[in-house]
Formats: sequence, structure tokens, C-alpha cells
Amino acid sequence: MGLGLRWYHFALWAGFILVMALMPEFVSKGTLRTMIFANFLAIFAISWDVLSGRTGYISFGHPFLIGIGAYTTAILTKRFDVPVEYAIPAAIAMTMVGGTIMFLPALRIKGSYFALVSLAFMELIYQLVQVIRPDLTGGTRGMSGIVTLTRGAANGYYLSFSLMIIVALSMWLLMRTRLGTALSAIAMNEESVKGSGLSPTKLKLFAFMTSAFVAGLGGAFYVHYLGSIAPRALFDINFVFTIIVATLIGGASTIVGPMFGAFFLTFLLEYLRPFLPGAERYLIYGAIALLLYMYQPKGLYHIFMSQLDRFKKKGDDD
Amino acid sequence: MTKPLSIRNLVKNFGGLTATDDISFDLNEGQSTGLIGPNGAGKTTIFSQIMGEYRQTSGTIELNGTEISKLSTPARIRLGVSRTYQVPRPFAEFTVLENVRVGLMPDSIWKMITESPNVDREIELALSVGFSESDLRRTPDELSMGDLRKLEMARTMATNPRIMLLDEVFAGLTVGEIDQIAKLIQKMRSENMTFLIVSHDLKALEPLVDDAIAINYGKVIAQGSFASVISDKAVRTSYLGT
Repeated sequence: MGLGLRWYHFALWAGFILVMALMPEFVSKGTLRTMIFANFLAIFAISWDVLSGRTGYISFGHPFLIGIGAYTTAILTKRFDVPVEYAIPAAIAMTMVGGTIMFLPALRIKGSYFALVSLAFMELIYQLVQVIRPDLTGGTRGMSGIVTLTRGAANGYYLSFSLMIIVALSMWLLMRTRLGTALSAIAMNEESVKGSGLSPTKLKLFAFMTSAFVAGLGGAFYVHYLGSIAPRALFDINFVFTIIVATLIGGASTIVGPMFGAFFLTFLLEYLRPFLPGAERYLIYGAIALLLYMYQPKGLYHIFMSQLDRFKKKGDDD
Repeated sequence: MTKPLSIRNLVKNFGGLTATDDISFDLNEGQSTGLIGPNGAGKTTIFSQIMGEYRQTSGTIELNGTEISKLSTPARIRLGVSRTYQVPRPFAEFTVLENVRVGLMPDSIWKMITESPNVDREIELALSVGFSESDLRRTPDELSMGDLRKLEMARTMATNPRIMLLDEVFAGLTVGEIDQIAKLIQKMRSENMTFLIVSHDLKALEPLVDDAIAINYGKVIAQGSFASVISDKAVRTSYLGT
């Protein structure tokens, strides 16, 4: 399959999983709850990265996909008493349909035009869930009392972490194949991809579907963790920017980067909460993101990798 | 006998401008043809129509007897025709090897995932166009124009074409680089590759082609052996200015 795996890949992943699995033994329940949000943000950031980080089709409307997953399973379980084990796969399938709809404009437009259209998708679903069948969607107030899958911080943590690690590992492996190379090539020069005998349409559709699958999965489990859904919080531009900034801080087009970015950002916002309880916190993370981009636009992952390279070279010289 | 490439009555209108006007020609197996003409004559537009980047207004394009007008660019490349561009279009963040890798990929997502990259073939192609071992990990921002053209050639060759369309293949190159590319083309000619080559550098083009087609204002003004075409009065007036 040509994944180019080395022993240290296995060691790093195993070490990471082990440390994360032991977290509930060492950290408080409050910290665990923060980590649960970080896990879900990592899933959303990876979903965004597979689409926008790779192909360069910047989505400002990712909550459109997350929302389809969340609302589908919420409506099915709460309004129609569908068991969760059927509702979640149905939610993922619906999100993939949403991903196909979002893909259609990408056949004709790219760059900032696509970003604006994707934002319109989010605004569209925000308005729709409030006015179309509020008896099903809960209208502006959303829904509460949705069945939850876990009780207690530790169980919630294990579920969200398991999901995140499955998503991260499978996407990381997938992007190490030639498919990852081809998707990155689209962002660099779509015409040359076509001129190399590859169909950009097919590749982009795959990226949209994969991104939608992950967004739907994350959205569906997130709503069954929270037990409620609020359209104003879900379809919020700050939520979009949190996903994007987490990916960019960590390192777009890397899978591992968005994961670290999500943890960095979630904990940063959490630690700032006592000092800045309001939206001012976003100013601070905006400033940190800005400084980081000025220093290394490719994010924390590349800072780490370049330090590692320097360390290796130094070792070779010695 | 079917021709590798057969173009009949090719017309392309851009609004009120006729970029190619009733162009017809054939390429024979293993034949190398120069396509010459002044700037704006329609040479690159012919390439773009052959590759499906522009759809012709009317006329037909056949590859080995198959009408390809309705096929996408990747489908045409799978049928064995590939091109280079006047301005090289590398993948800016990829190394030389990764650039070649994209050209070697099958147009199947399943195969992209399940099959390993053929690194030996990537290296072989990159070395065959004149890159050295130390160039293979370089990115396009570290390459000269000559190297970028070599990279374009390697990526085009990676698609396994039987017909190669080379657009201004010598533009911006040093004498040494022209010689290198010319040797590569000669080598491929000896392996029976069919070429259609656009170049303003007639001196460099002459030894590489069997015959030539001259166009001006989208029309064929002369066709035949290279010597006869460049000595044609209409060609000399419109192109060479003598």
C-alpha cells in the first residue's frame, strides 16, 4: 500500500494512545470534560482538514455538515424513537448527502467564491431548522432531552477519545497513500492534476464525502454526548473559526496538526475563561494565531517537525 | 490505416474571434511535426482542443480512429495523448519525485489507496530527462526554467503517452539545456514516439521534426517538409518577416 510507515510512527501513536487512555486516572473531571470538547473539536478539525486543508476548497460552512449529522440523529431518536444504533448511521448517510450538495458548487467555483457559498450553506440550514417544521427541529430553541450514550466524565471521555483516535488514525493512514498526494496536488494546481490524467472531480467528490462522513459522525456523537442541540451555538461563525483556527494552528494538511491544534485551542480558551469570561477570549486566541502564522504559517506541526529535523541533523553531525 | 492523430476542419470561435479556422492535418505513427506560426496564430489553441481543455466549435479530432471530442482531458490522456505547457505548471510544494508521482497515478481512487507508488519508475523517469540524484528531493522553487521544463517532460512522459504535444519546449532555456531536451526528444523519436512540437526556435526545432505545419490567423498557410515550409513565401512574410 506504500504507507511508508516506520517504527517510530507505531511508537508515537502507541505512546499517545496510552497516555490519553490513562488520563482519567490523573486529571480532574473538569479537565476531562474539557478534553471531551477537545476530542470533538479534533474530529471536526480533521473533517475540515480532509476537505479544505488538502484540496484548498476552503469551507466556511462546515457546521452545515456537522448540523445535518446532529439534527438527523436528534430528530430520529427524540421524535421517532429510532434506536441510536440506527439513527447514527442514518445521520452519517444524510451528512454525506449534504456533502454531495455542498460539492456541487465546487464543480464550477473555487477560492474565495467557494468559501462564501459554503458560508451561505450554513446560513441556509440555520434559517431552515428554525422555520421548517419547528415541531421536529425545536425551532430557535433547539432540542433537549436527547438520549445520551454515556454517563460521567470518564465514560464520555473514553467514547470521544476512541472516536477521535479512530478518525485520526484512519485519516492519517488514508492521507499517507497516493490519494493524499493527489488531493494535495489539487490545492497546488488543479489544471495540472487534470493534465496528469487524473479526474479532479472524482477526487474532490471523494474529499467532500470523506469530510462529510467524519463531520456527520462527529456531529451525531456530539449531540448524543451533550443531550441537547442549540442552533445558535452550532451554526455560529465563531464555531467555524474555532475549527479553522484549530486546524491552521496545528498545521493544515497533516491530520496530526488539527488534532493538536484542537487540544491547544480548547485548553487555551478554557484557561483564559477565569480572566476573560466573555467573547474577549477570542481576541486572545486570534492574536496567538496571528503571531504563530507570522512565525510559521504551516502551524505547530511544522515547528515540531523542523525542530526534530534539526535535532536529527545535529545527532548525525556528532 | 488509422492515424495516431487526425484533425478535420477544426474551428474554434471565441465570441467574434476565430482562433482556429478549418484546420486539418494528420500525424503518422512515429512522426515528429513542428507547428509554427507567429504569436497568436492559434498553435496553443490547437493543443488545448486536442487535450479537451477547450471544446471546438466544429470539426473532429480522432486518436487512433476514435473520435474524442466528447471525452474529458483525463480520458484523452488515457488514450495516449499528453502535453506540456508554455509556462510550466509544477506542483509547487512537491519534490521532483512527487511531481512525477502524480503523472504516474492511475485515475482510480481504489488503486491510489491500495497500490504502492512505483518509486523505481519515478526515479527512472526523473533521471531520464536529465535530473541528477541530488535533484530528486528538490522543490520547484529551487529549479531553473530548464529544470522546470524537464520536470514537465517527465510528468508528461509518466502518463505513458504515444503522442506528445510539446508547447514552446525551448523557451527560456540556455543552449546547454536546449541540447539536453533535444537529445531527450531524439531518444524518444528513436522509440517511435509521435510528436507535435510548437517552438519559435526554428534552429533548435529543425533537427527534431520530419515536417512542419505553419499557421497564421488560425489557418494553415503551409504544410510539408520543414525546409519547404520555412521557405514558403506566405510563411516568410507572416512569420519570419522577410
